[in-house]
Amino acid sequence: MKVFQNISWPVPAAIVAGASLMLLQATPLLAAAPQAAGDTAWWVWVLALFLFSFLLGIVAVLAGVGGGVLFVPIVSGFFPFHLDYVRGAGLLVALAGALSAGPPLMRKGLADLKLGLPMALVGSVSSIAGALVGLAMPAQNVQLLLGIVIISIAGIMIKSGRSGYPEVSQPDRLSQMLGISGLYYEEFGQHEVFWQVHRTPQGIALFFVIGFIGGMFGLGAGFANVPVFNLLMGVPLKVAVATSGLVLSINGSAAAWVYLFKGAVLPLIAVPSIGGMMLGSKIGAKLLPKVNSRTIRMLVITILVLSGLRSLMKGLGI
Amino acid sequence: MTDKKGEKIYADRVQLAYAKTLDIVAHAVMLVIGAGYLLYIMQLLPLSVPIETVAGNWQLSSSELQAKLHLFSGWSCFASLPLLLHGDAVSYASVVMLSMATILCLATAVIVFFREKNHLFLMIAILQVVVLLVAASGVMTQSH
Repeated sequence: MKVFQNISWPVPAAIVAGASLMLLQATPLLAAAPQAAGDTAWWVWVLALFLFSFLLGIVAVLAGVGGGVLFVPIVSGFFPFHLDYVRGAGLLVALAGALSAGPPLMRKGLADLKLGLPMALVGSVSSIAGALVGLAMPAQNVQLLLGIVIISIAGIMIKSGRSGYPEVSQPDRLSQMLGISGLYYEEFGQHEVFWQVHRTPQGIALFFVIGFIGGMFGLGAGFANVPVFNLLMGVPLKVAVATSGLVLSINGSAAAWVYLFKGAVLPLIAVPSIGGMMLGSKIGAKLLPKVNSRTIRMLVITILVLSGLRSLMKGLGI
Repeated sequence: MTDKKGEKIYADRVQLAYAKTLDIVAHAVMLVIGAGYLLYIMQLLPLSVPIETVAGNWQLSSSELQAKLHLFSGWSCFASLPLLLHGDAVSYASVVMLSMATILCLATAVIVFFREKNHLFLMIAILQVVVLLVAASGVMTQSH
C-alpha cells in the first residue's frame, strides 16, 4: 500500500495543479478556446473527467470491481469523446492500476507469475485481436455490443459467488506439468494457505475469450478473470484477485499498442482518467472498512445496468 | 527463503525480480506521465497541435482524427528530437512508456527463468515478450 501511495501521487498532482492554474486563468481561456462539444471549453471536460474518474475510482474499490468496467460505459455515455478514445483510456486506466498495485502483491506471493503467465500469453494474443476487431467495426455496433456485454457483466456480478479457499483435491495434469501451485500467508487468520489448481485447460480457453472482450471494449477484465481463477480453477480469492491484476497488466499492454498505433489514445483524455482513477482508488481503499460494501456493490450493479442500457440505446440510434 | 528480518518470504526469485523491476518502472512512468501532462496542458513547451484543436475534434473517430490532424500514433513522437521537444509529444511519449513497462518486467523474468534453467516458463515468458514486441512494432495494425 505504501508503494501504491508513493506511485500514485505524480499524475493526480499534475492534473490538480494544472486544473487549478487553468481555473485561475478561466476567463481568457473561455474566450480563446474553440468549443469542443457544444459550448463548453476543453478544460472543463478534462477537469470533469478527472473528477468523474476520481469518483469512479472510489466506487470501484468499494464495489470490488476493476475501474475499466465502469469507466468505458459511463464515460462513453456521458462525455463528448468518441468511443475510440474512451476505450483507449479505459485500457490505460486498467493497465496503470494493475502496474501500481503489482509489486507488493507479488512480494507477498499473492500475485503468482506461474499461474498468470500462461493465461496472459493466451489472453494477450486474443486482446490484440479484440482491439483490432473493435477498432475496425463501426462505433455504433461496438456501442451496441458494449451495452450487451455490460449488462451481462452485471448479471455475472449478481449471480457469481466467491469462495475464499476453494478445495482442489486433485490438480490437473497440465497444472502439475507447469508447476502451478503456491503458498501464501493469510494475515487475517494468521495462517499459511497452500493452493493448487484444476481445470487449467478450460481456464486457458476462457482467458482467450476474456482477452478478446477486454481488448475489443477497452475493459479491464477483472470482472471475469477473478471468477475463472476462483470458481473454475479453485484459486483462493486473494490470489485470484492479485493474479488477475498481473494478467490484466499484460493483456492491457498488448491491446494498448493497437490503440496507440490506430491513434486512439489522446493523452488529453487518457492522463486525467488515469490520475483520477488512481487517486480515487487510494481514497476508496481507506474508506473500505467503513462502508457497507454490499450496498455499494448493488449500487454499482444498478449503474452498470443503466449505463449498459444507455449504450444499447446509443447503439440502436435511439 | 527468508528476508533480512528473518521473516519467511512467500515469493520465489522470479517474482521478487519481477516485482523489483515493476516497482522501479512504475514509479518512473508515473512521474513522467505527471510531468509530461503538466508540460502539455500548461503549454510550457510548444505544441505540434493546439489543445483547442484536439478538443474541437475529439468527437471524431480515431481514423477521421488522424486523417484530419495527423496526431501522434505508435512511435511517431520519437521521429526526431525537435519533434519530441513539444508538450504534446512528451505527454504522448509518457503514455508509450506506460505501455512498455510490462515488456521490461517480462524481460527480467526471462533472465531469471534462464538462470534457473526453468525451460518451460522460459519459453512461455519469451513467447509473451515476442507477442508484446510484435504488438509494439505496429506490424499487426499496418497489415490490418
